[in-house]
Amino acid sequence: MGRVIVVTSGKGGVGKTTSTANLGTALALLDKTVAVVDADVGLRNLDIVMGLESRIVYTSMDVIEKQCELSKALVRDRRVDGLMLLAASQKNNKDDIQPEQMKAICDKLRTTHDFVLIDSPAGIERGFSNASAGADEAIVVTTPDVSAIRDADRIIGLLQNARIEPINLVINRFSPQLVGNGSMMDQDDVLDILNIELIGVVPEDSGVINSTNRGIPLVYEDGSPGAQAYMRIARRLTGQRIPIHNFEQKGLLNNIVNWFTRKR
Amino acid sequence: MNISIRQLFGRKPKSSSIAKQRLKLVITQDRFDVDDRVMTRLHHELAEVLAKYFEFSANSVKMDLKQEGNSYILVADFPYTKFHETNMRQ
Ligand SMILES: Nc1ncnc2c1ncn2[C@@H]1O[C@H](COP(=O)(O)OP(=O)(O)OP(=O)(O)O)[C@@H](O)[C@H]1O
Ligand SMILES: [Mg+2]
Repeated sequence: MGRVIVVTSGKGGVGKTTSTANLGTALALLDKTVAVVDADVGLRNLDIVMGLESRIVYTSMDVIEKQCELSKALVRDRRVDGLMLLAASQKNNKDDIQPEQMKAICDKLRTTHDFVLIDSPAGIERGFSNASAGADEAIVVTTPDVSAIRDADRIIGLLQNARIEPINLVINRFSPQLVGNGSMMDQDDVLDILNIELIGVVPEDSGVINSTNRGIPLVYEDGSPGAQAYMRIARRLTGQRIPIHNFEQKGLLNNIVNWFTRKR
Repeated sequence: MNISIRQLFGRKPKSSSIAKQRLKLVITQDRFDVDDRVMTRLHHELAEVLAKYFEFSANSVKMDLKQEGNSYILVADFPYTKFHETNMRQ
């Protein structure tokens, strides 16, 4: 039986879709079978971020309305074995789907896939309840800023109430330079506040934007720091023990640079 | 150490530590902020239980959440007029 993991955040735009696309692809590259599900009904993005937008015929809405079989609605990613996408309907809205219907889809997908990753919409309302209805586990994505962390804490509370565990944290768009000059909280600060398990830190990486533009998830071209970060998270998800990478630059030269560039 | 030396030179604290401090405070508030409806229900349920032992008038009852440092305290005032002795033996 596969694991169903909801990727969520509270605040919008922190990198849920980017993380779902890259972790799904990374897990497939690690020879796992993966289904990624877009739960952002009405504002679907996962298909375009993954470069599969031109091949979507059916959506989860069609499956729910019994217009087609689940297996027929899944779009296979031809670049790697074992990766499938279930798209969200763009013309419906979040209230058109019931949490139980999402759960039924997840329960079916877990019989055929090692991992089912659900890309949740932002917010704490219906879209979130739908996205998390079928999940056993959660990945909470946050950026190291006050609004995103506050909203992440709210979502963590809701996930705990729903008995979804483990809840793992991804800190995205981390900038060692900003941490160095004192204008960004580091991972220890964030963990001290949120108090959940950290599964990875993804640095700010212009490669993310380029890969999104092209519709090729970063992890296919594995050189960049962002791609490496997502590969490490995927390995941790499969149970490998890999220490958390330390992006912070230490050393005398950096301290001198930081001294001059620090925020006042 | 680092911070005290910086303070000697009159430097402002890093904005990241201010962010952390403010977040800690607001998140404790978020976590303890009890919904009004929940407070009203709790109020009724407490009164129901206490009414078995004490006699009090419902409109003299006060319930409040107070912050003390990092923790919150639920304070309930039930000024009573009489204690029901008989219930002691049950
Ligand atoms: N590590 C990163 N480095 C640079 N840019 C990033 C990084 N992660 C995400 N982004 C950019 O941030 C933007 C938002 O990302 P994404 O769409 O994944 O967020 P989201 O949480 O899914 O948003 P929404 O709440 O709207 O669904 C995108 O433009 C993406 O390219
Ligand atoms: Mg998204």
